[in-house]
Formats: sequence, C-alpha cells, structure tokens
Amino acid sequence: MPIFHRFIDFFNRPDIDGWDVRQGINDILMFDMVPDPKVVIAALYACRRVNDYAITVRFLEAVKNKCGSLESQIYPWMIQEIAPVLCELGVDTPEGLGYDQPELHLDSVFDMH
Amino acid sequence: MAGRLLALSARSIKARPVPLGAAGAHSNPALDATRAMIGNREIVGYGMNGQPHYYDRSDIPLPAIRWKEATADIKCLREKEKGDWRQLSMEEKKALYRASFKLTYSEFKAPTGEWKQIVGASLMLVSVALWFYMAVRVVTRVPLPDSFSEEKQQAQLRRILDLHVNPITGLSSQWDYEKDDWKK
Repeated sequence: MPIFHRFIDFFNRPDIDGWDVRQGINDILMFDMVPDPKVVIAALYACRRVNDYAITVRFLEAVKNKCGSLESQIYPWMIQEIAPVLCELGVDTPEGLGYDQPELHLDSVFDMH
Repeated sequence: MAGRLLALSARSIKARPVPLGAAGAHSNPALDATRAMIGNREIVGYGMNGQPHYYDRSDIPLPAIRWKEATADIKCLREKEKGDWRQLSMEEKKALYRASFKLTYSEFKAPTGEWKQIVGASLMLVSVALWFYMAVRVVTRVPLPDSFSEEKQQAQLRRILDLHVNPITGLSSQWDYEKDDWKK
C-alpha cells in the first residue's frame, strides 16, 4: 500500500497556507484509495497550522466516504490509528459532532424553478 | 529645439493629476465580477477547477470559497479558532463547520426519494398509452368474415383432415381414418 511520502512532506511544511492544504487534501482524495493514516495525520497537523477547524471535519467525512462499501471495516481502523492526534488537536470526528446523520435540509439548487 | 519641446510635453504629462476615486477603484473588472457573483465570501482554495464556486461534492470535499459571508460573530469565531481547539464548545465547532460548508456529507448524500416521482410518472404515461390502445381496438372493430362461423370452421377442419395435414406429429396423427373419428 503506497504511503506517498511526497504528500507527507508537503503537509509537513511549516509555512504551508490554507490554499495548499485544501489543494493537498483534494488531491490525496483523488486517488482510488483510502489515504494512509500517516498522510491523514500530516494533513490534520497542516490544518492546525492554518487554523481552520472546519476542513478537518470535512476531511474526515471525505475519508469515510472514500472507504465506499468497505466502510465498516476500514473507517473504525482509521479512527483508531489517528485517535491520538484527534485527542491532541481537539478535532472531533463527524460522529462526535452528530454529522453522521443528516441534521439540516436545504432544497437543492437544481430543484428551484 | 525638438528635444526641449519633448521635455516640456513630458513634464506636462507627468504633472497631470491621476484620477482617483471611482475610476481608480474599478481597475480590476474580474474581481468585481467575482464579488458580484459570490458576495463577500472568502476565496480559500483552488476548488475543483480554479473557479470561485461553492459546491458539495463527495469526491472533492473542499470547495474554493466558504459558504457564509464573514459576519462579526464568524470573525470572532475565527479568532477563537486560532487558539486551542479543545476550548471550542460543540455549538462553536458546528458554527465553524456551517460557516464554511452548506451541507454535511450525510445531508447531501441523503436519499431524495426522487425515484418514486420518476416511477410514478412513467407508470402514469404507460397507463395513458394503454387507454389509447384500448380505444383504438374498440373504435376500429369490424365484424368477422363469415368464414369464422361454426359450420364453416368445421368444414375447414374436415378439409384439413382429408388432406392429411401434419400426419406424423400434428393434427392428422390424432385422427383415426378407419373409424372416421378422433383417436382415443
């Protein structure tokens, strides 16, 4: 399973900015694989460095979505692997915020006439 | 002489005041067009294609702009966000999420029930078609020709048997030619 050290080094840059963090997160999720926990941890630290909380939760939701049909096998393992970092940074999982169930309903813009 | 004139004209151009105010502020029409489209929202990333649009997509999680415009309470949350995230309360964390994103993953992936509308409308159209079919069959009905009467059908059957049609496995194999009746 490739780890993509390039991504880890990219996210570990101390002077990374919000633009690059978002680009890096979108890119690592473009691959046809669930990101390695080391990459996820590096991305979470990068989000902390740019002081953006919302993108950490969104990233975890996206990782969960990336598991696809194997979500019940992969996602608990992933959370277990990154749990120390979640504790240290104070990041909540989507389940912790109650976002694993729909909370809000807004009409889709495609249904507005 | 020509050089002196040139120097004089250059100095007059330099001395002409540059117009400030409204004309100077609208020097970037692309930014104005973007601001007219998205309002005061912060452009935070590349997004899907570089355009400052908001979207909720499961494959590209982070769009190019935030969802909500920066109001005073959101700005104050951003200041708090720079500190320890463990100090944020649950409502503040949710408010930060909703400030950047319109819907969560579970919300935009939730089933809409649209398939029921589609199946229902299709079946309604099919039933209209069936009504048309029945109407056509009723309206275009003509009397059967007289070769369909009972005596004429029996005469045709007699002829089939006399011709020994399908004698091995078909109709004539069931007819007993000695007794002139169906085989028992």
